Amino acid sequence: MISQIGSLALSISGGLILSNFFFLFYYSIRKDKIFLNVSQRGLIAVCFCVILATLCLLNELLISNFNLQYVSQYTSYETPLFFKVTALWAGQAGSLLFWTFIMSIYSLIYINVTLRKMPTLKYSSYIMLSFIFGFFLLLSNFIANPFQPVSSDIIVQNGNGLNPLLQNVTMAIHPPTLYLGFIGTTILFVMALSGLISKSLNFEWIQSIRRWSLIVWTFLSGGIILGGYWAYNELGWGGYWAWDPVENSSLMPWLILTAFIHSSMIQEKRGMLKSWNILLASSTFLLVILGTFITRSGIVSSVHSFTAENLGPLFLAFLSSLILFTGYWFVKRFDTLKSDSKIDSFTSREGGFLYNNLILLLMCFIVLWGTLFPILSEAWNGEKIYVGATYFNQLNVPIGLVLLFLMGIGPLLSWKTTSRSTLLSNFKIPMLISFFSGVIYSIFFGPLQLYPLVTCMGIAFTATSIINEFRKSYKKSKSDNKSIPSAIVSMLFNNRHKNGGYIVHIGVTLLFVGFIGRAFEVEKEFNLSPGEEIYFANYIFKLNSIESEARDNHYAFISDIDVIDQRNNLLTSLYPEKRIYFYWNPDPEKRQPHSELDIYSTMRKDIYSIFSAYDAEKNQGYFKIMINPLVNWVWIGGIVMVVGSLFAFWPSKRRNYGII
Amino acid sequence: MNKIYTSLILVFALIVMWTVYLTNVKNDDSLTVRYYTIEELLTKEASITKVKVGGLIKPDSISINETDQLEVSFYVYQGSDSLKVSYYGIRPDLFKDDAEVVVAGAFDDNSIIATELQTKCASRYEGDLKNIEKI
Repeated sequence: MISQIGSLALSISGGLILSNFFFLFYYSIRKDKIFLNVSQRGLIAVCFCVILATLCLLNELLISNFNLQYVSQYTSYETPLFFKVTALWAGQAGSLLFWTFIMSIYSLIYINVTLRKMPTLKYSSYIMLSFIFGFFLLLSNFIANPFQPVSSDIIVQNGNGLNPLLQNVTMAIHPPTLYLGFIGTTILFVMALSGLISKSLNFEWIQSIRRWSLIVWTFLSGGIILGGYWAYNELGWGGYWAWDPVENSSLMPWLILTAFIHSSMIQEKRGMLKSWNILLASSTFLLVILGTFITRSGIVSSVHSFTAENLGPLFLAFLSSLILFTGYWFVKRFDTLKSDSKIDSFTSREGGFLYNNLILLLMCFIVLWGTLFPILSEAWNGEKIYVGATYFNQLNVPIGLVLLFLMGIGPLLSWKTTSRSTLLSNFKIPMLISFFSGVIYSIFFGPLQLYPLVTCMGIAFTATSIINEFRKSYKKSKSDNKSIPSAIVSMLFNNRHKNGGYIVHIGVTLLFVGFIGRAFEVEKEFNLSPGEEIYFANYIFKLNSIESEARDNHYAFISDIDVIDQRNNLLTSLYPEKRIYFYWNPDPEKRQPHSELDIYSTMRKDIYSIFSAYDAEKNQGYFKIMINPLVNWVWIGGIVMVVGSLFAFWPSKRRNYGII
Repeated sequence: MNKIYTSLILVFALIVMWTVYLTNVKNDDSLTVRYYTIEELLTKEASITKVKVGGLIKPDSISINETDQLEVSFYVYQGSDSLKVSYYGIRPDLFKDDAEVVVAGAFDDNSIIATELQTKCASRYEGDLKNIEKI
C-alpha cells in the first residue's frame, strides 16, 4: 500500500513537471504573473511529492517489504535498523531518488528564501529547476524505479542484505554529506545562469551566491574527507586517496568551487571577473554531472562498480544540453559582464586570488585529463591508455605546493597594489621561520627528499603568515576590549568571513602535514603461526593466538598481535579479523569474506594491520602491516576546514547573515 | 589585454601542454599503462613490460600455492578468450570465481605476472536475489 503511494507520488511529480513547462511557456507569452505563481506552486508540490516518495521507500525498507526489488536487494531481516535506513542510498535506484530528495529540500529553501528576495530570478530559475527535476524524475519513474516489485514468479524469503563494507557508520554519513555538496551545486548553477539571463548580477546576487557556495563547499569538503576516512579505515589498502575516477569526480567540482569562492570575493569587493565567476559557478554543477556520467556509465574502469542499468547515454545527453544552454546564454549576455575596474598590479590581493584560480584550475585540468585519458586516447588512436597515481602525483604535488605557499602569501598582499616596502616587511618573518623550519627538518630527517622538505617549509610559511594576521586583528580588538577572552571573541566574531577563511586555510596546512607522511610509508606482508614473531620497522609483531567466533551476522577469525617497541615495551595489541558473512549459506560462492582491520593510531604514526587470509590446516595467518606516519593530521585538517567554513557562514543574530 | 591575464593564460597553456606532452608524446611507462583486451594479447608474441587487463575470473581456475597462500594463479576471461595470471600478495576480499577483476603487470610468455590485482569494489552491491522460492 505504502509503496503504491510512493510510486504514485513519483508519477504525479513527473506530471507536475510537465505541466510546469506549459505554465512557464504561457508566462513567457502573456507575461501574466499568475502563470509564474502557478509554476512556483507546481515546483513546491513536486518537491513535496518527492519527499513523500522518499519517506515511502524508507518505510518499506524499515518494514522489510521484500516484494520490492530494491528492498530485497539491499536489506535483509538481519540488517540492523540503522543500516536499513542507509540502504536508502546504497543502490542505484534508491540513490537517484535520494538525489532528487535532497534537490527538493534545497529547492524549497531556494524558492522560499532566496527567490523571495530576488524575484527577478524567478522565471529563469523555474525553467532550469523544472528541467533538472524533469531529468531526474524521468530516471526515477522509467529507468531506475525504486518501487519496482520483484518479478511475479518468485517469493523472496529474505533479502540479500547490505554489503558488510557499507555497514559502517562513516559509510552511512559519507554519501549523504557528499550528496548534499554535489546537489547543492544545482542551486549555484541555477542562480548563476538566472542572474545572467535576467541581467541581475548585482551586489545582493553575489552575496547570496557566495553564501550558497560556502554551504555547498562545506558539505563537499566534509563528504570527500569522510570518503577518505572510510576507505582508510575499512577498505584495507592503507590509503585514503587513490586517484580513482570516482574520487576524481568529487575532487573536480571541489577545486572549481574553491576557485569560485576566491574569485567571487574580487567581484564582491571590486566588481571584476563577472564573466569568469559565472563560468566557475556553472562549471561546478556541470562537473558534478560529468562525474556522475563517468561513474554511472562504466566508460572508465573504476574499482567502484556501477553495473546495473546503464544510465551513461542519458547523463551524457543531459550534460550536453546543460553545456549548450550555458554556452548560449554566456555568449548572448557577454556584454553585460564587463568589469567595473581593472587589476592594477601583480602584487595585489586580486593578483593573489587570480594565481589561486590559475592553480586550482590547472589541478582540475590535470585531474580531468587523467580521468578522461582512457576515453580520449581510445578516440584518438584506438588504444585505451590509463594514467596511474604517478601521473597525478607528479603533476599535482608541485602545483599543490605552490598553492600552499600562496595561502601564506595572500594575506600579505594588499588590495589594488602592495608597495615594495610593505611587501618586504610583511614577508620577512614568514620567510625566516620557513627557512629555519627547513633547516631543522633537514637536521632531523636529512634534506634528501625534496617534496617533504618543501612542504614543511610551506607549512611554516603559511602558518606564520596566518597567525600573524590573527595577531594583528587581536591587537586591534585588544585596544577596544579590556579582558583577554573578550578581545579574542570580538576579534574572531568581528569579521567572520575573513576569520573563517583563515581557519579553513589552517585546516589545509594541517592536511599538508598529513600529506608529508605519504613519503615515509612502509609496509610488509608475512605469515605467522601463533607464538611466532617478526621484526619490521623497529617493532616486533608477535602473534599470540587466532580465535574463532560465530557472531550475529558473520563468523570471525580474530587474531591477537602484540606490538613490541625497541625498548621491549608492549606498545599495543592489535586484533585484525577475518570475517565470513553469509557463512551459513551452503553455497560457498555466496559467502563473503571480509577483512576487518585494526589500527593503532597516534599523532605521529598509525600502525595498520590487516588479517588477509587464514590457513586452518596449518593454523597460520597471513598479515599485512603498514606504518603510515601523520595520517591523523589529514582528519584533523579536514575537521578544521569544515569548522572554519561553518564559522564563516553560520547565521548570527547581530547581522542578518540569514540571507542566502 | 591586461598583462596579468596574459601571463596567467600563458602559464596555464604551458602546463596544459606539458601535461599533454607527458601523457601523449613521452610514452613514459611509469605514468601510463595501456589497456588490452585478452584477444589482443593472445596474438602478441613479444613480451610487454606493462599491460592492464580486465575480465572475469574463470570458475575453478584459481589455484593457491599450498605452502605459501599469498601465491596464486588463475585465468581471467572475456567471452571465450582467457589468459593466465599469476600474482603474489594479499588478495582482495571479493576475489573469487566469476568476480570482475582488473590486473596490471608484465605480459610474458602468454601470461601476466601481475603486480596489481583489484576486484571491483562493492560500493554498489548488486546481484541476483539469494533467498528466493520459485512459484
